[in-house]
Amino acid sequence: MSEREVVVEVNDLVKKFGDRTVLSGVNLKIYRGEICVIMGGSGCGKSTLLRHMIGNIKPTSGSVKLLGTDITDLYGPDLDELRKKIGMSFQSSALFDSMTVGENVSLPLKEHTRLEKSVIEIMLKMKLELVGLRGFEDLTPSELSGGMKKRVGLARAIAMDPEIIFYDEPTAGLDPIVASVIDKLIIDLGKKLQVTSVVVTHDMKSVMAIADRIVMLYEGKVLETGTPAEIQSSKNEMVQQFIKGDYDGPIKFFQQKDDYLETLTQ
Amino acid sequence: MQINLDSRGDVSVFGVSGDIDINSSPEMKKGFEKVFREKQEKVLIDLTDVGYVDSSGLATIVEIFKNMKIYGGKLRLAGLSDKVKGLFEITKLDQLFEIFPDADSAIQSF
Repeated sequence: MSEREVVVEVNDLVKKFGDRTVLSGVNLKIYRGEICVIMGGSGCGKSTLLRHMIGNIKPTSGSVKLLGTDITDLYGPDLDELRKKIGMSFQSSALFDSMTVGENVSLPLKEHTRLEKSVIEIMLKMKLELVGLRGFEDLTPSELSGGMKKRVGLARAIAMDPEIIFYDEPTAGLDPIVASVIDKLIIDLGKKLQVTSVVVTHDMKSVMAIADRIVMLYEGKVLETGTPAEIQSSKNEMVQQFIKGDYDGPIKFFQQKDDYLETLTQ
Repeated sequence: MQINLDSRGDVSVFGVSGDIDINSSPEMKKGFEKVFREKQEKVLIDLTDVGYVDSSGLATIVEIFKNMKIYGGKLRLAGLSDKVKGLFEITKLDQLFEIFPDADSAIQSF
């Protein structure tokens, strides 16, 4: 069998916002067909990394390749064309409140294809069936629960049959049962439609449920990469602290007390 | 994508080759307009040489089925690769269509 095809390649990625370095030399490859989860604490740079992968923001240095194309300096129509091959599920679902579920999901098809309305209608039903929401076409987002909105967002993300789906915190703010429903959906879409999934999350239960491979980010760098089993048995104390959610460990949430007292008396 | 039209007795056989995707689906639909116009009753789509069908392709085949159903026409499918068959199964369309392993068995079934 030939070597696995790389669909996203990040090389020496550095991103600074002013004086603050968010990503400090990330190297990462994502392979076709896998569910790759990028995890790490709040502020570790994982969402920033995701936004680089889809070309939303540009690096301070380093490069990003998406489906074989270097997107580091790609803008406008060329980037838009490439983006038709990817789907994006946002943290906030990012649905248009003034449109119905059906209009939200079929929007990319109406905008980017010359398919007939009748064919788009059939596609819409197929997409909503995949996310378990067939029959909800005429409701508006305000009439839906948080979990349903996420699923509508997913249906829209898969509208154009993307080769890669990027998920930003897909289970954030959902109750455990709905979160499990979303996890199962991510697995199903990945396996059934044979798409590559890149998931950014810090929900450990979700990570272990869905990941083929985990990339753990810490302070803007890749700390460790491995299968869920490998990560769980990692000898790295920081990885262990994160997956167990321990307050005490090498990862400090609060600054050292001395700094605090110093700043008070400066 | 290409479509080769052939008649086997009273069955119109549409031999499709290439991928049926967002770019080629509208063209595929056009290729069937004559079928609807003439209300052809027995139609077979042979997918032996089709590598991939995306959801627009699946929806287009459903649309062809719907249009033929209006006048009582029969649409059958044949020659689906495992990958294409999988796509029909995911979307439950395998329960909608009569699917045959090859063109000959499909033609005999009419």
